[in-house]
Amino acid sequence: MRAAMILAGLLALAALAQAQERAPESMTAPEPEIVAPPPAPTDAAPRIIEAPGAAPPRRPRRVARAPQSEPSTDFPAAIAQENFAATSSYQGAEVTVFGYTPDRLRRGDVVVAVRGPPETAVVRRKFRFLAFWVNGDPVRFEDAPSFLAVYSTRPLNEIASPRAIWELRLDPAASARLVGATPADADASAYRRAFVRLRRQSGLYVEEPEGLDLDANALFHRQIKIPANAPLGEYTVEIFWFRDNRLIARQANTLNVARQGIERTIHHLATKHAFFYGILTVLLALAGGWASAVAFRKT
Amino acid sequence: MSIYLPIAEMPVSGLLVLLLSALVGFVSGLTGLGGGFIMTPMLIFMGIPAPVAVATQASQITATSVSGLMAQARRRMVDWRMGLLLSMGGVIGSTFGVSIFSTLLAAGQIDILITLLYVLFLTVIGALMLFESFMAIRTAGKPLARPLPRPSPMALDKLPFLMRFPRSGLYISVLPPLALGFGVGVLAAIMGVGGAFILAPAMIYLLRMPTNVVVGTSLLQVLIVAAVVTLLQASITQKVDLLLAAILIVGGVIGAQLGARLGARLPGEQLRAVLAVVVFGAAAKLLWDLLTPPAYLYVLDPS
Repeated sequence: MRAAMILAGLLALAALAQAQERAPESMTAPEPEIVAPPPAPTDAAPRIIEAPGAAPPRRPRRVARAPQSEPSTDFPAAIAQENFAATSSYQGAEVTVFGYTPDRLRRGDVVVAVRGPPETAVVRRKFRFLAFWVNGDPVRFEDAPSFLAVYSTRPLNEIASPRAIWELRLDPAASARLVGATPADADASAYRRAFVRLRRQSGLYVEEPEGLDLDANALFHRQIKIPANAPLGEYTVEIFWFRDNRLIARQANTLNVARQGIERTIHHLATKHAFFYGILTVLLALAGGWASAVAFRKT
Repeated sequence: MSIYLPIAEMPVSGLLVLLLSALVGFVSGLTGLGGGFIMTPMLIFMGIPAPVAVATQASQITATSVSGLMAQARRRMVDWRMGLLLSMGGVIGSTFGVSIFSTLLAAGQIDILITLLYVLFLTVIGALMLFESFMAIRTAGKPLARPLPRPSPMALDKLPFLMRFPRSGLYISVLPPLALGFGVGVLAAIMGVGGAFILAPAMIYLLRMPTNVVVGTSLLQVLIVAAVVTLLQASITQKVDLLLAAILIVGGVIGAQLGARLGARLPGEQLRAVLAVVVFGAAAKLLWDLLTPPAYLYVLDPS
């Protein structure tokens, strides 16, 4: 069923591509048939934005050219399903992302970022207090995505400049905005690294630097798992196409994971009719206890 | 069978939770203890957020104490007046406890406090159970081996507001039962336990109630306090998960009935001794974790 949907989607995209081929002047990002001359190599060290937690580039590479124009938003990519139901058997959602790069020669790289609803995260450092290890003062990160999956065709530092990675919030550390002062004993970056590490450990921050493949026709498709322990709500799926260290095109979709059926009813009662919900729970408990006492007395 | 819990926002194995709650119910039916002190840490260990585990657990305690109370009431083993007085203190105490719980939840220290309270009370329960079963095993066969506590002049007797409790044969101040109920209510709300394990010894040794009405009367207090805690947790913290509660209730009441039924045929004292050792082990493990340097110093607050 899902495979059929993907196939249909790919066919639609292919049709779109053919239409664009027939009318090249309509393309927003014109594709020159001749390979563009590569930018001249330079000895100057790449400019790195001071970014705590961002991995330094492993080797010198071409200086990132500042984008001359806004990246195109007309990027042939999509997600196969926009609404996911969290029923009582919910075990996570599988988002299928697919599309193709509008480059016949398969140049460039694709990055997909799936982001959960933003939330405030609180990190604490344990310290020793009267022989016990207790939690220290809170360090807050605002607007941190509750879930983040970044899939790319190659490691990000080979695709984009550190600045672009940081500004597009493709680095998990870049996503968390530190709020307020940190305790005097530690610097902010230690807390930021700890935050990302803990999120990775619980499977909520996922990075697959080679998780995407462009096939012979420059097509890509990939299922990205949103685990069941990730929060429900509105997710964004951003798809980027980089070439020569430059962001050429980007596109954003939203998807929604919402409670359905009994889950939805219970959550609605628990939050909107809390007192009635409490009464209901107590009555259920009383009935359960009474029923078992009666049932076991007769046997 | 995986079930997604709507309030905890996570999937659990329904069968596993059902079996665990039945096991805990069985142990509580066997020993007369509530079982909340085993179930709550188990739920937290399974990954259920501590606030949800504590809040939801109160509903299971409500259910298991109903069937226990019904059995005691049929045998006229309940001092209703004393039970209601203890419950009054308990309701005030649990209201207080739920607000402490919310404050500590916001301050990020709830897990430390819960762990410390568990270490303290698991050690106390373990010691009491071990002592009782040891005494029972040693004096097995001798009728009325354990002497009933004799009334002795105490400071408690000098308090005002005297009241007669015909079922217990007592004429005492209302203040000690109210204070006792209050203290147990605070603990019930914070720890997600019924508190019978503190209440029962205190009723015997402090209030000097006859032992035959202690179980039924403490069950009445536990029932009322657990029901009020469920209601308060649902209204204030909104962390009661009805789906989890339903599984816990079903497993708990069936287990408790089986435990009470089989309890008569099994060597109860030896079982209590084994359970006491398990409880000691759990307390030691919790304490060890608090005292040894953690493998990783940073923690994330539960969202």
